[in-house]
Amino acid sequence: MNKEVIKGSQNYIPVEIEDYPTTGWQKFKQVVRRSLGKELFVGLWVVLREMLKFNIHTVQYPEEVLPLPSRYRAVHKLLRLLESGNERCIGCGLCEKICIADCIRMETKEENGRKVVSEYSINLGRCIFCGYCAEVCPELAIVHGSRYENASEQRAHFVLKDDMLTPIDFLKEQKEFDGFGAVSPNADKLIKKTPLAY
Amino acid sequence: MAEVRVTIDGKECIAQEGETLLNIARANGIYIPAICYLNRCSPTLACRLCLVEADGKQVYACNAKAKDGMNVVTTTENIAKERRAIMEVYDVNHPLECGICDQSGECELQNYTLLENVTEQHYAIRDTYKPVKNWGHIQYDPALCIVCEKCVTVCKDMIGDTALKTVPRGGDPLDKSYKEVMPKDAYAMWNKLNKSLIGTTTGETLDCTSCGECTAVCPVGALVGTDFKWSSNAWELQKIPSTCAHCSVGCQIYYEVKHISIENNDKKIYRVTNEPHFATLCGAGRYGYDFENRGAKKEPKSLEKAVQALKSAKTIVFNSQITNEEALILQKLKEKLGLKLVNPEAYQYKEFLSVYSKISGKSLYSGDLNTVRKSNFVISVGSALKTDSPNSRYAFNNAIKMNKGAGIYFHPVKDPIIDGLSKNVIQINHQPYEEIEALKWILIQFGKDIPETISAKLDISQFQEKYLGEDFQTKLEKLLKKKDKFSLIVGADLYGAKNWQDIAEVVGLIDLYTDFSVVIIPSDTNTLGVIQICELDRSGEAPRVGYNEKGDFTFSALGDGDFDIPALNQQEGTFVNIDKRVVPLNVALPYGGYTLNDVANEILDNPKQWTIDYTSELFKKVDFDSLPNEFLNSGEENRGYILDIDEVEREEPTFHLANNEPPKLGSSVIYLANPVLQFNRFTNKAHQLSESGGLYISPEYSEKFGIKEGQLVRIATKYGSLKTKAIVDNKIVGEICYLPTFDKHLNARKLFDSYRFIQAKISKV
Amino acid sequence: MDLGIFIFQTLIKILLVLLIFSALAGFTTYIERKVLAFMQRRLGPMYVGPFGLLQILADGIKLFTKEDIIPTNAIKPIFKVAPVILPVSAFVAFTGVPILPDIQIGDTTFQFLIVDSDVGVLFVLGVMAVGMFSPLLAGIASSNKWSLLGGARTAIQLLSFEVVTGLSILAPLMLVGSLNLIDINNYQIEHGWLIWQQPIAFVLFLIAGYAETNRTPFDLLEHEAEVVSGYATEYSGMRWGLFFIGEYVNMYIVSFLVVLIFLGGFGEGTLLDGLCYLAKVLFFIFLFLWTRAAWPHVRPDQLMWLTWKVLMPLAVINIVVTGLLVI
Repeated sequence: MNKEVIKGSQNYIPVEIEDYPTTGWQKFKQVVRRSLGKELFVGLWVVLREMLKFNIHTVQYPEEVLPLPSRYRAVHKLLRLLESGNERCIGCGLCEKICIADCIRMETKEENGRKVVSEYSINLGRCIFCGYCAEVCPELAIVHGSRYENASEQRAHFVLKDDMLTPIDFLKEQKEFDGFGAVSPNADKLIKKTPLAY
Repeated sequence: MAEVRVTIDGKECIAQEGETLLNIARANGIYIPAICYLNRCSPTLACRLCLVEADGKQVYACNAKAKDGMNVVTTTENIAKERRAIMEVYDVNHPLECGICDQSGECELQNYTLLENVTEQHYAIRDTYKPVKNWGHIQYDPALCIVCEKCVTVCKDMIGDTALKTVPRGGDPLDKSYKEVMPKDAYAMWNKLNKSLIGTTTGETLDCTSCGECTAVCPVGALVGTDFKWSSNAWELQKIPSTCAHCSVGCQIYYEVKHISIENNDKKIYRVTNEPHFATLCGAGRYGYDFENRGAKKEPKSLEKAVQALKSAKTIVFNSQITNEEALILQKLKEKLGLKLVNPEAYQYKEFLSVYSKISGKSLYSGDLNTVRKSNFVISVGSALKTDSPNSRYAFNNAIKMNKGAGIYFHPVKDPIIDGLSKNVIQINHQPYEEIEALKWILIQFGKDIPETISAKLDISQFQEKYLGEDFQTKLEKLLKKKDKFSLIVGADLYGAKNWQDIAEVVGLIDLYTDFSVVIIPSDTNTLGVIQICELDRSGEAPRVGYNEKGDFTFSALGDGDFDIPALNQQEGTFVNIDKRVVPLNVALPYGGYTLNDVANEILDNPKQWTIDYTSELFKKVDFDSLPNEFLNSGEENRGYILDIDEVEREEPTFHLANNEPPKLGSSVIYLANPVLQFNRFTNKAHQLSESGGLYISPEYSEKFGIKEGQLVRIATKYGSLKTKAIVDNKIVGEICYLPTFDKHLNARKLFDSYRFIQAKISKV
Repeated sequence: MDLGIFIFQTLIKILLVLLIFSALAGFTTYIERKVLAFMQRRLGPMYVGPFGLLQILADGIKLFTKEDIIPTNAIKPIFKVAPVILPVSAFVAFTGVPILPDIQIGDTTFQFLIVDSDVGVLFVLGVMAVGMFSPLLAGIASSNKWSLLGGARTAIQLLSFEVVTGLSILAPLMLVGSLNLIDINNYQIEHGWLIWQQPIAFVLFLIAGYAETNRTPFDLLEHEAEVVSGYATEYSGMRWGLFFIGEYVNMYIVSFLVVLIFLGGFGEGTLLDGLCYLAKVLFFIFLFLWTRAAWPHVRPDQLMWLTWKVLMPLAVINIVVTGLLVI
């Protein structure tokens, strides 16, 4: 058997694996050792011990919910600017372009001298939640939220602009987003300063 | 012209003398960066990126003419520094709004910034406030403008409107200390850039023929079409190369299509683009693209009806907004069913051309728009160039601007745009029916070795006295200095004149006895194709089937007839354009209904699956799918194929009407012509060009007779009368008003005979 | 005794056994899920009723109302009958098992045993063995290759272990000298638990019992990873449920038998003895679940090797040794 010592920074524990028995006698010895030796009873003891300890790991899901990391990639959100409440999305179309599942579509138009996104949709039936759209978004407008409960009566639910956009009344609840798509904390240090004439 | 040999980056290139280094390099596949240079226009010298080293000296490739034995290096260390600094300068204060900019993705500033790897900025200047300007079909955002002046150049050298110019920018001067630290050319370029912006020549509003070519040449998103602005990102659009269907020039265009909306997956044309280096579009081509026949469906009953209508008809009435293939099907139907094919406009043209051929000995006219562009003396007779064939006007203008040329424009309606082209253009506004005199004058003035029998008949003393006085002669002498290439453009006014035979004979003689190459502008989109494919009849009796024309049973691509057919942006086919070139047309939008081919298959003996199966039965045995539709880097037009000019047996001119006095029209004359941006009912169907027609009057006329814009007028000729509103058009001068054909609610044709001018009584209602 | 009363009493007892053990079988599934869950640090069923107690009810409703699918190519009468055999055989076997000691109320003795036969052990084991036909026929009739494999495994596994069961129990019976379960029980009052005299027989009988009831580590008949669901692949609804009622009733029979034969049974029949008796039975039920949580199952070839090359020789040696000792 190959019993190489595994090198590396991590603490791997090499497992001793014995050769398979070849003769009948060896097999018999193995059975006896395994059944009359500790192995069977250790198994019994381990499960019994766990039962007696009653150290339950179950999360009773609808009542209890596990906390999600902020970079979790679930159903998308369209964010607003925290101060003004304006939509962050500028309609650049990069998400539409980069989407490898081709599930993003947007409609843009001119309104009062600004480009506005009149309609935006993500076909969640096709979305693979790869996060490219959030990654590419230059405005931190389309991000992955933490809503993963997307059972619905209608396929079209959650996928239109109104479903994803932070409602203006809930602007106060929108926090500075640090999840998937947000800039790295040291982003400022990576930027080269441009001279300004004023 | 002599051939020269130039070595560029070690590659030996053969070129014509006088060619610029940049064009030689491009034709030979050698890359030299350049933002401001535009093919077929004069070098702008704004961007200075095309800096190269020729025989050890730094020159601008767009400006430097090739000399024999020249050795050119496109990049040196110094040049690389200059280029990098130039791109940094271009990026100074350029708004970081690529995200919403319409040009993003096809922006030359983006491309060159990335190419030069501009990752940091060393220069700065205080920005100025520059609001966006809305100029109708076009919007200008000065903040995005890099003042490459391509728009100014194209408007002057190509279009001839000269509606744009550079205007002072205002703001701070450059920091003098930059002069020491910056590369020389970059500083000079910035110094110039920092002083100017683009503005209109006519104050705040843009007054031009709205061709939109400035938006096509703009390397950044400063000039964009108002309708397209922010409606789609460039990379989402699918480019479909095709041919513009509105006039006989048949420009190469790209229909750019995408789904209509999130829910609606049907295709829609978002804009039309062109290759501004090689082809120029007019406003009708650029903005009149959505004339498709939407919503047609295949209903076997209607097919049956159409077949019945054709079987029981005696005549098919059609026009020349039709592909060669459809025309061939009509001809086959004629042969099979014994119908008559009636297309008055093409019939006139055919007769005219055949008389011309008999005299000149050529089956087709000798010139094309490329020969016009290359000539340095151009004369136009009998065509309202600006609206009849905008690209002929561009060629006229281009020849004068680029070749230090000159020109004469004969037309009864005074055109301020033609006056604005150049000092070297003389406009002569003769009376209607005097076109032949103008042509005779050309024959006398430029003719060589004209036989006595003919020259005896060329008496133009009256005309000369009236229009070509001494002033003219001295001016003409000046204009003709150093001129060696001559072009004549004749237009649709002539084909329907009562003395058209004489006119055609004179045109033939001009071709024969002078140095002029002649272009006889086909009067409609595919007139040149139709006349060669169809045996046309002068008239036909009822019952008539109309093909895009009114008949007892009407096939209509406008969707208002008895049977739907695809519009010209929904079908494949070919046109014969003004350059005698068979050019392909592609499907931009799907069409759900029956085509003429489907109807014909029910009648003809050899059914074909597709309309384009007829393409190989046309002039040459070439399949539709093997027709190219592109321009090569050298500027060569690789589109379809060119028809050969055959020799025809010559006949002597008869001049049988020569002695008759030309009919005189009184003072009140109307003209059958379309306004700028309109050609036909299809252009008017496009949402950007949708308007209702009327009587177009010049501002002077409006003042003199007190007819205001929008006022109802009655126009009466000997053929009838109609009531419509007056529209003041500042693109004409004088007392001749015109009536359009593009508006289907305004049947102007019924007031006219075959000639485009007619005496009329105009009265206020 | 009056025949009428006897029949009446017997019918009551049959009904009681039927009801109690049907319900117990169901309840045991709940217990099993809970125990397995706890041993795996889970909670098990929690939502239906308090602590998931009504889960059995929900499952029952589900099983009863589920569509009864019969494959097109199945042999329909056999396919329909097969699941009935197992519970029937199991319940019939139960008639020979004394669930509780006799109860003396006044002067009437109330006997919990339905059939007090002199060949009690043989009867119980024999009838129980009939249950083998259920998976066998189901597997053959289903017209499904997984079912067929499950059926084939039934044949080899149950037949093989029938031998071990019989042989292992022979030695204690030789000591007791009777096949009557009550006699075996009474023998142990005097001589102490038979497990002390026959430890090998006890282990062999227990192993064989696991195999006969098709429990881990010998659940080869319907091992998901190998044969989908074995003989039960094509079954759905209550027909599928019947297999499991049968299996769980069999578990109880095996537990009762083990306790009766080797662990002193209900001894003298006092109340305390009765409670101890039930506790011992429940321990063996728990052991069934416990091993299921702890042990992996064996391969068919290992199983055969174990039966014929290890267990059977051991049983024979045990009989010979016991026989020599008895003589």
